[in-house]
Amino acid sequence: MKYLVFIIAALIVFRIIRVIIKRTLNNRQTDPNDTKLNLPPWALKLYTVWVFFVVNLKRVFRDRVALFFTFLFPLIFLFVFGSLSHSGHVSYRVALINESHTALANEYQNSLKNDKTFNISKSATTISEANQSMSRGEIDVIIELPPGFGKLNSNGIPSGDAVINYSQSNAQEAQALSSIMQSQFDSITNRFVKVEKPLKVVSKVTNKYSLTAFDYTFTGLLGFAVLGSGIFGPMNVFPELKKMGILRRLHTTPLRVWQFFLSNMIGQAITGLMSLAAMIAVAVGIYNLKVVGDYITLTAFLAIGIVLILGIGLALGGWAKNERQVAPLGNIIVFPMMFLTGVFFPRYLMPQWLQSVTNYMPLTPVIDGARMILTQGKSLLDLGPQLAVMGVWMVIIYAIAFRVFRWE
Amino acid sequence: MPEAILKVKKLSKSYGEVKAVDNISFEVKKGEIFGILGPNGAGKTTTLEMLETLRSIDSGSASINGIDVASSPYEIRGVIGVQPQTPGFQDRTKLTEIIQMFAAAYGEKVNPKQFLEEVNLGDKANSYVEQLSGGQKQRFSIVTALVHNPKVFFLDEPTTGLDPQARRNLWELIEELKKRGISVILTTHYMEEAQMLCDRIAIMDNGKIIALDTPKALIKALLKRGFTKKQEIEKANLEDVFIDLTGKELGRDS
Repeated sequence: MKYLVFIIAALIVFRIIRVIIKRTLNNRQTDPNDTKLNLPPWALKLYTVWVFFVVNLKRVFRDRVALFFTFLFPLIFLFVFGSLSHSGHVSYRVALINESHTALANEYQNSLKNDKTFNISKSATTISEANQSMSRGEIDVIIELPPGFGKLNSNGIPSGDAVINYSQSNAQEAQALSSIMQSQFDSITNRFVKVEKPLKVVSKVTNKYSLTAFDYTFTGLLGFAVLGSGIFGPMNVFPELKKMGILRRLHTTPLRVWQFFLSNMIGQAITGLMSLAAMIAVAVGIYNLKVVGDYITLTAFLAIGIVLILGIGLALGGWAKNERQVAPLGNIIVFPMMFLTGVFFPRYLMPQWLQSVTNYMPLTPVIDGARMILTQGKSLLDLGPQLAVMGVWMVIIYAIAFRVFRWE
Repeated sequence: MPEAILKVKKLSKSYGEVKAVDNISFEVKKGEIFGILGPNGAGKTTTLEMLETLRSIDSGSASINGIDVASSPYEIRGVIGVQPQTPGFQDRTKLTEIIQMFAAAYGEKVNPKQFLEEVNLGDKANSYVEQLSGGQKQRFSIVTALVHNPKVFFLDEPTTGLDPQARRNLWELIEELKKRGISVILTTHYMEEAQMLCDRIAIMDNGKIIALDTPKALIKALLKRGFTKKQEIEKANLEDVFIDLTGKELGRDS
């Protein structure tokens, strides 16, 4: 419902902008010699930004290479990392050999099939097959329900021992599985014999949301997409525009650097958000990403992040006279960010001192903030520390970008 | 006598030890075509770039339409049109869109089709720039510099690399600018181009203006000094033959 209101509001704003543009067009037609738009000076300056933005946006959608790097390339990364860390929770690969076929044994076999913790091999159906499979590392353990498992004992209660066969290298998995199965058997036993155990372990849910491996990886991939298009885009395009004399030609018009930058910022924010939206749609649809947070908050936050990172690209591309000059500098800036800000490696794996340093890199608060919105449902107010770091970087980066910009 | 729209006084520019432009002064009147000639490295391009606000002025002053170039670069850009030596435009952009962008840079909105038709590019309105030939690109480039009705138009070696037809077509365009009352300042290496087009000519060498007058007066002065051409003047030259044979019309892709 909230999103519907948001979409309708966006459509209305869009409509109003169109009507204003149409109006100015009609003004023109009544007096063909007057090419001056009937707008106050500040609005005229923004009109320039708007036209540059619209034409360049159209241009992006005509450029197959740009489309590939904007939309498909991040999705490919998403597919690769998604399939690597998809499973989300722990599961064990087991072979289940049921040689008993009592009612209890069959019931237990069926219950394991529906249990996501047990990933039961379909190919290994005999002990010898299972042993071969285990020696190849395809399964972790063999669960054997021996003949007579589940038969009634002298007290009329089903009994028997299930056997876990494991190899030395899978001792941990065997340990974990045996305690899981022991607790399953305890609850089955409870159905037949009421035993009050004096000591018990009770587990309680205290944290509503926790990160799955994929949830963690995914925000890193969002950061990767922001980093790639924001920095490498202008870094490649601007020197090309300079080489062709296009920026020099623009420099002979009253166009200001801020107008040129702003049109780039809006364009990058729009294409960047579309690309991230495609990634989120795929992650939700295919990899069951649970989005806890609010999409409007996420959009606003990511737009700020995109513009921030774009500033680095504008500074590099605006400064460089040619591609060769800027490539090494770009790599010096991009690669540390790729490896230290949580794009590919979780930062919690880093030593404390490195974490406290990388906390202050420009991309870190973008990724952390996006993660907090996506998986914990935080609002922009909760993200004060992240937004503060981003704000300081925004000022520094754009101050440099404006200072070093060259038209040729 | 029309008033001067562009005034240059004792303009100088050095790159290190080299004086690229050395204390030059001249004026250009409204609707005049003014040529700057000279060998490579004479300071033609540097002079133009200073007037176009692309280079800082070391000393001296320049004003266009009463606006000081050094102190009000943005206002100057609003009254000048610039045709660079090699016009470049971003690819995958329609001609109409580029015109809209340039008009927007001046805070204006124009009818792109009308501008394109003025230079016979009406049927190319929806083409991309990379689909234009050299001559078409030159004409298109001129149109993009006209969207805001400039008072002074700069062209840096506009006809270098063009075939004779495209060159003649460009000359007509430049004459057209003059008729509209736009002052044109151009540099060129082609003497017959300067002779045909320019009302007045400045010849530069080593950063200095060494002669400034109408082409006729310059030739007269030379003859007065007792100069005679070694070869008898032909009644026609090879270019005349070429134009006669291939037709004065623009080539299909020029």
